[in-house]
Amino acid sequence: MPANSSTEAPREVRLRDLKPSDSPVEFVARIVTCQRREVTRKSDGSRRPLLSGLLSDGTATVRFSWWDPPREGVERGTVIRAVAPEVGEYRGRPEVSFTWRSRVGPASEAELPRLDPAEIPRRALRDLRPPDEGFRVEGRVVRVAERTVSVGEERRVVFEGLLADRTGTVSFSAWSDFRLAPGEAVEVVGGYVRSFRGAVQLVLDERTSVRRLERADLPEAAEVLEAPPRSMARVEEEGGGASVSVEGRVVGLLPPSGLVYRCPQCRRSVQGGVCRVHGAVTGELDLRARIVLDDGTGAVTVNAGRAETERLWGTTLDACRARLRDQPDVSVLEGELLDALLGRRLRVRGAGSKDDFGVTITPDRIDSAEVDLESTAEELSVRFGSTRR
Amino acid sequence: MSFREPAWRVTAWELEASTEEERGSGERAASYLVSPFGGRFNRVLVAGTLSPAEAVGREETQPFWRARLTDPTGSVVVTAGSFQPRAMAQLRAVTDARPALVVGKVHLYRGRDGTGYVSLRAEALRSVSESEERAVLAEVARQTLDRLDLLGRLVAEPEVSVEALGADGTPTLWIRAAQESLRRYPSADRGPFRASLAAVIRRVGGTTSVVPPPPPAPTVRVRHAAPPPARAPPSAAERAEEALVLDLLDQVADASLDSYADRRELLARVSSQGLVGTRAEEVLTRLEEEGVVEEPIVGKLRLSQRPS
Repeated sequence: MPANSSTEAPREVRLRDLKPSDSPVEFVARIVTCQRREVTRKSDGSRRPLLSGLLSDGTATVRFSWWDPPREGVERGTVIRAVAPEVGEYRGRPEVSFTWRSRVGPASEAELPRLDPAEIPRRALRDLRPPDEGFRVEGRVVRVAERTVSVGEERRVVFEGLLADRTGTVSFSAWSDFRLAPGEAVEVVGGYVRSFRGAVQLVLDERTSVRRLERADLPEAAEVLEAPPRSMARVEEEGGGASVSVEGRVVGLLPPSGLVYRCPQCRRSVQGGVCRVHGAVTGELDLRARIVLDDGTGAVTVNAGRAETERLWGTTLDACRARLRDQPDVSVLEGELLDALLGRRLRVRGAGSKDDFGVTITPDRIDSAEVDLESTAEELSVRFGSTRR
Repeated sequence: MSFREPAWRVTAWELEASTEEERGSGERAASYLVSPFGGRFNRVLVAGTLSPAEAVGREETQPFWRARLTDPTGSVVVTAGSFQPRAMAQLRAVTDARPALVVGKVHLYRGRDGTGYVSLRAEALRSVSESEERAVLAEVARQTLDRLDLLGRLVAEPEVSVEALGADGTPTLWIRAAQESLRRYPSADRGPFRASLAAVIRRVGGTTSVVPPPPPAPTVRVRHAAPPPARAPPSAAERAEEALVLDLLDQVADASLDSYADRRELLARVSSQGLVGTRAEEVLTRLEEEGVVEEPIVGKLRLSQRPS
């Protein structure tokens, strides 16, 4: 018998199973974000109200469009039951719209699908990629700090930190206070992954649940912070992570390094007296080094700020500024910086992000890595002798 | 993805022994030198004693400097021109032999007898303390041993998968390089090369002093196995051929950026003028032997600077 959309009983689904199809479905979900606007009809110029945003039922998040929605009673956090929505697809992800054919009404929290955590796939932190959702992770809170940010007009508190498991680390931002404390082992259900400043970030919001774990196979916070360096080949493969440790030698500097001018408002570097955002500005002098660090298996760029650059170079910004009076060519100073750094063995820990050109590390700390020549020679000669063929 | 080429830690021996090239195709594709010892590199980091540099460019606007870096296993030519102004300034600043490290791109020139000559185009270099030199040599020794072990495993188990080899953290890049190395040099004897690392390790331990500075970089001359046999004075026809070659050499040199005549280009021109193949080579060789033409950089010819 051919499927007939008008007579077939709607099938109840979860959002993660939603697919464009002719057969009617129904689901219960919470409105995560929404905004009202009016769309002008081309045919007669009349205005038609539209509510659009994101829906989530804990298994997935989908975009929705609700034509002619009720005037009130529908807002962020409202749980709805939708029967016979139109299911479409945009860029490979399902979308729903509620039209005259659909029946949408309020529902209770209790009607939301009961998510047994065991039913939600568990993911390794290393494998999280935007825009993943509908997963659970277990991790150790390595560090967490509170910060106040402006979101549009609103001031909001966000808790930012680092979560680690045996596979890697991921930075997180929690928009609700889950009272996370460093050292805790937690299970996070219902978070989602976004890309923040080029790095992967796990987001915890009001629909996320956090459960403390009594025992878990997770690294201790100190282990993560003191993790031995990984080979750069591996870092290039895996894309770094929120806490990456590498060791290698300085083989070059990338421009702009040395003295740079920065916009006094946003600290972006200024090219030819023009800030990308604020236009013509009087740039303020700053010191930086974009270090190419290489361990023979791969290379990363380490963006050292003023304090780190001063320490590695042994020269201060003020001293450079004084030098500029008799040596106005900043490239000479850049050359001196390279001479001070080239070939030095450094250990760097920080947050890594990967793009088409490789991995860049924003360092938390940079240390000189000394080599004990005698013990190294001893170790090498033992190895040389023992594997002689 | 086009990630930056890592700087392979290598010895001079490994560079000297590398005669196989893998040319990239397409715009900005990197070329690689494949070594018999598991390396496949575009960029390297070497440490050793750098000899004073000599200028080899004739034109002031196109300066070109060359020095020789010697480590406990051998030596390699290091060059820097006006496209690497900072490296060139550093190279020029070397007035007496001293420990240094060099980051550079490898360059292979294949001579007409098929011999490969490897040189390094310096991107950055710096005089270092002896302990810094030894620390870099420690990395060179360690990573070279790692790569030789990897080659050993590949020889022992040719069917082993890249995944299995990489399980202990061995970079995929190294595994591919080792496979290519074995393919290109199926019968390479790696014993003497491995043995040469003993000298590197002794140097790391400080039990040998600085590698004696090499003799001042000699002008590269093509070596001939036997001294030139005595010859009858050239005939008028031979004189005419020499004149043609010298004439074209001037033209090619004038048209080139570095004021040298490229050997291959010159031979192509000469053959287009009717003097073909081995005959042209013979004339050119005779001119070199007589000291009329010299080859200060391999593959680059000029009229002799010395009064003859």
